[in-house]
Amino acid sequence: MSALGTSPDRSDADAKLRGQAVFGADLSRTGMLWASLARSPAAAGQIRAIDPIPALRVDGVLEIVTAADVPDWRTGVIVSDTPMLAADYVAYEGEPVAIVVAESRAAAEAGARSVAIDIEPVEPVSTPEQALAPGSRLVHPDWNRFAVAGGADIGRNGNVVAEVIHDPGDLDEAFAAADFVVEGTYRTPRQYQAHLEPKMALATYESGRFTIEVSHQYPFRLRDRVAQILGVAPSAVRVVGHHIGGGFGSKLDVSLEAFAALLAQRYRRPVRMQHTALEERLVAPCRANAITAVRSAVRRDGTILATDVEIVSDSGAYANNGPALSSIPMFVFGSIYRVGTARIRTRNVYTNTAPTGAYRGVNGPWLVFANERHMDAVADTLGRDRREFRLASLAQDGDLMRNGQPLEQVSILREAFERVNELAGWRDAGAGELRGVGQAAAVWLTNPMPGHATVKLNEDGTATVITSATENGSGAVATGLRQIAAEALGMATERVTVTMPDTDATGYDAGSQGSRTTHVVGRAIADASVEVRSHVLERASQMLEAAAEDLVITDGVVSVAGVPTASVTLGQIAQAATWSEGPIAAGASYVTPTPPHDPMCATGMLIKGWPTPTYHLHQAEVSVDPVTGQVTVDRYVVCQEVGRAIHPDAITGQIQGGVAQGLGFALSERVDLDHGRYVQRNFKAHGLPLAADVPKVEAIVMEHADPAGPFGAKGAAEPPVVPVAAAIANAVADAIGAPVDSLPITPEAVLDALERAQ
Amino acid sequence: MQYCRVSSVAEAVDELTRWGAEGRVLAGGTDVMPRFLQGEQVPAALIDIGGIEGLQGISEVGGVTSIGALVTMRRLATASLIALRHPALSQAAAAVGAWQTQTVATLGGNICSAASTADTLPALLVAGAQLTLVSKSGRRRIGLEEFLEGPGTTALRPTELLRAVELEPLGERSAEGYLKVARRSSMDVAVVGLALRLHVSPSGVIDGVRIAMCGGDRSAHRVPAAESVLLGTQLSDESGAFTEARAALADAVGPGDSVESQYRRRVLPGLFGRLAGRCSAEISGVVA
Amino acid sequence: MTIRLIVNDRAHRLTVDSGEALLGTLRDRLGLTGPKEACGEGECGACTVLVDGGPVASCILAAGSTNGRAVRTVEGLAGAGDLTTLQQAFVRHAAVQCGYCTPGVLMVLTALLEEVSEPTEAEVRQALAGNICRCTGYQQIVEAALDAARAVAS
Repeated sequence: MSALGTSPDRSDADAKLRGQAVFGADLSRTGMLWASLARSPAAAGQIRAIDPIPALRVDGVLEIVTAADVPDWRTGVIVSDTPMLAADYVAYEGEPVAIVVAESRAAAEAGARSVAIDIEPVEPVSTPEQALAPGSRLVHPDWNRFAVAGGADIGRNGNVVAEVIHDPGDLDEAFAAADFVVEGTYRTPRQYQAHLEPKMALATYESGRFTIEVSHQYPFRLRDRVAQILGVAPSAVRVVGHHIGGGFGSKLDVSLEAFAALLAQRYRRPVRMQHTALEERLVAPCRANAITAVRSAVRRDGTILATDVEIVSDSGAYANNGPALSSIPMFVFGSIYRVGTARIRTRNVYTNTAPTGAYRGVNGPWLVFANERHMDAVADTLGRDRREFRLASLAQDGDLMRNGQPLEQVSILREAFERVNELAGWRDAGAGELRGVGQAAAVWLTNPMPGHATVKLNEDGTATVITSATENGSGAVATGLRQIAAEALGMATERVTVTMPDTDATGYDAGSQGSRTTHVVGRAIADASVEVRSHVLERASQMLEAAAEDLVITDGVVSVAGVPTASVTLGQIAQAATWSEGPIAAGASYVTPTPPHDPMCATGMLIKGWPTPTYHLHQAEVSVDPVTGQVTVDRYVVCQEVGRAIHPDAITGQIQGGVAQGLGFALSERVDLDHGRYVQRNFKAHGLPLAADVPKVEAIVMEHADPAGPFGAKGAAEPPVVPVAAAIANAVADAIGAPVDSLPITPEAVLDALERAQ
Repeated sequence: MQYCRVSSVAEAVDELTRWGAEGRVLAGGTDVMPRFLQGEQVPAALIDIGGIEGLQGISEVGGVTSIGALVTMRRLATASLIALRHPALSQAAAAVGAWQTQTVATLGGNICSAASTADTLPALLVAGAQLTLVSKSGRRRIGLEEFLEGPGTTALRPTELLRAVELEPLGERSAEGYLKVARRSSMDVAVVGLALRLHVSPSGVIDGVRIAMCGGDRSAHRVPAAESVLLGTQLSDESGAFTEARAALADAVGPGDSVESQYRRRVLPGLFGRLAGRCSAEISGVVA
Repeated sequence: MTIRLIVNDRAHRLTVDSGEALLGTLRDRLGLTGPKEACGEGECGACTVLVDGGPVASCILAAGSTNGRAVRTVEGLAGAGDLTTLQQAFVRHAAVQCGYCTPGVLMVLTALLEEVSEPTEAEVRQALAGNICRCTGYQQIVEAALDAARAVAS
């Protein structure tokens, strides 16, 4: 029986259900020290003095380490702008200023609270608008001295971290020819990942090498970043991964690990660190807040002649991966609906706030929010039905994205509109007083970054996949990769084991991000399995005295086609092979090729193409409480294309979970900044959706096998979060008869809009 | 910090006398422990009263409901006596936090912490709550309205222990309820919470009305202005007096112009309409 | 201070700090790392254990106040034996993703199923109000609970 398209048990379910699974935050070592960071209490200012004495008085505190004791260079993923510890000035509240080393966790935390950090405060650059205002103070006066990876020109200038400009030039003509000009400005806040397991690190130093045990989405990035920060070779760092208590992008870069490693070397003892709940909030690489202004030239017949998009996103105090994410608008505008000639400018700017970063569906939720709110606005201007107008405006196969990449299968979106209509209808959906319906579509990528897997056939006929792909909850490793190996090798899924990440033991892997694991690592496994299979068949053909082409492998047994009695098990084959020519194992690498594109399409672009796209349509029905202004999502339908569904139940779980996160972003979650400081400082204040706040999502999974994917699979886990806020906002706007152009949709704003609409 | 476990009211009072303002009573701890663990409030002693059997009872004797200070939210939310005689309190207790909170959080804790958002307080106020406080020098009774002096401050002296709460049970031709507006379905504190108790004469005239709210800048409080416009009016007269009461409630929010205050002002009239409609339907159902 | 605690049907005599939270006692003194540490303020439910059968947030429950009481953690559900009906339903319904909320969620649902034999979906969702799950969007958890209730009832 095929292992694909069924939903076998996760390999980690039993341990997780018994409370046996060891997460990073459960780790401990005999003789370990604890350390905690003393962080800047101010959003911006000059460090006048750091007094360690109050902290040293805390029982159990050993030492306070400051900038003078650590490497003095700046590092970063793209822009090397981040010091290990702030030396002369602080750029955000929560920036590390000193490390407190102690004999216990309580002492380390108490010590960190006691370090007296004397800062001469300056007025923080609090918002992107402020950062761009003429004469604004520079967040980093020395910005021009920061190195950029590969020497790329990313359009840096003062507070502008990165600028991506796509400008074909002839917009004015289109706007002059337009019957209508439709404009909108869409404002979206930060979103906090809110994974439950705090960030942590356990570092040891032995024989000139660092070992870092951690729960991390991307161990190889961590290896390289720790090496960069400490100024050692990447091979001097080994990262060992443990179960991850959620990440959603937050655990892709370095956080505490380099500090722990430095101390492990300094003390020659294991060093453990972990964020407090407050630290988690203060320094999480939230989804960036952004302002997206869209202006369209529209002809009476509904043709959008031109679209002008102006985006400002908040990088926070350091660049992080903002410069790369600034390419993403290029793949949203014009990739779903025809938007005519488009000019797109994206600026990512420094502010005196915590650095933003990667959160599931990077930039997507707010870009699709702008794109889809704008589509509703254009339809309303034209007096057209919103769904009908979307269908009329849909991009078509062969259209080019703004980067010049052909849209090969965008007609799948048309199918999605039909499928959703069959299930939930449109004209009668959301009918009734203060009820509404909204739609939002997306074309999302599958992250192409490299992976490697070794597949070995064990002597008992089971298989082990050796990889540093990380299981971040989705099941991509705990089921998906195992099913792919099982299918490729002809055995049951239960007989496949996947190793935990270890950068010493496996080939490079780019981590759990952008739904890449099933597609990229799955492909590497499928390729390696081809070689394993050929060894198996070769050996079996000798054992069974039959031609290899006449052999079939089913359920761990190789037999001669049509002669079921002539058979040998994979275990017997492996045994025989091991003691003759040697064990059967093979490795393979995969990286998705960059799709064809126009390299001159824009300046400052670091992400060049939109590989392995998947297609999405969401439809939300809501009702609004006239007394409280509260929004209830009554029905939610997702139609998602996944290539091939390897584990249907896991995909359902990703869709349901992604919608819940999107619903929180749309309605209840709050991450507000006031003069550079976060207003919401604990779990309660964030307003994460609860079980009673989330409706059951009805999911339609469409399959259009991708020839490059393992058995046709593309990525599936990330994108369900992308269209949600847009679909809900469109539904709320429909319900209240007024635009909803900023998030979150608060009850106050709904009551305001209702009052204005009356 | 000392941890003092007591098993009787007398022992508790001894410890309170010993520690005075330096001591902190620990019951369910849902308020005390987070503050302590985050280093916000570190008392010299935690006086754990959880083991005092005598503070655990719920009874109805002689037309008075008596609830021990250690009765938990979960018990209030699930006890049939409370559901029958004090539905507003039952609803309010069910609206506190989540199950994990309700398992340990006590009525006494909710009263003595006196948060401006405490759900049970409006429900207690409409039931005419009287508190019994004990100390070395004896016991005293005090009305809840008088007891609540401001957000987080009460008339409780450092050497006193709240022993029990006495309530007037819901009688015939009466109804009550509690409605809460919060950001999510559970877990969040009340942006605004509203309790209403109505009593009508056999001819359908409102001859008893109590309205109380929480969630503002003040402690939970009654809203006499709204009560007085309803008193003496016909229950069926939903247009006149009820409209006036709604306006009086909006005024009761106070002068603040914060986003929250403005929101409360807008929400309260409609919320009252909903609650009053529910209560009068219940009474009409009974009267009819 | 010394407390006596019955944890998963085994009696312990423990010395704890005066302000210690039960979660620390379980994790650091008894090595029971099933109950998870997350928000530290009783808001997320990852640390949920049962005390005398009732679910509590052990991260803000004073260890001292549990003296003489019976505590059940996720480790005590199946012990070394077969998974409970509820746990099995979690496997079947793919209700485990990252798994960090799972121990707390299981404890609340265990308490619910002990109290109500066939809860409605609304009752299950309400019971879970104190348990944040950022991965699943709750649906498969709710379905697992309802399925387990049916299995126990039949």
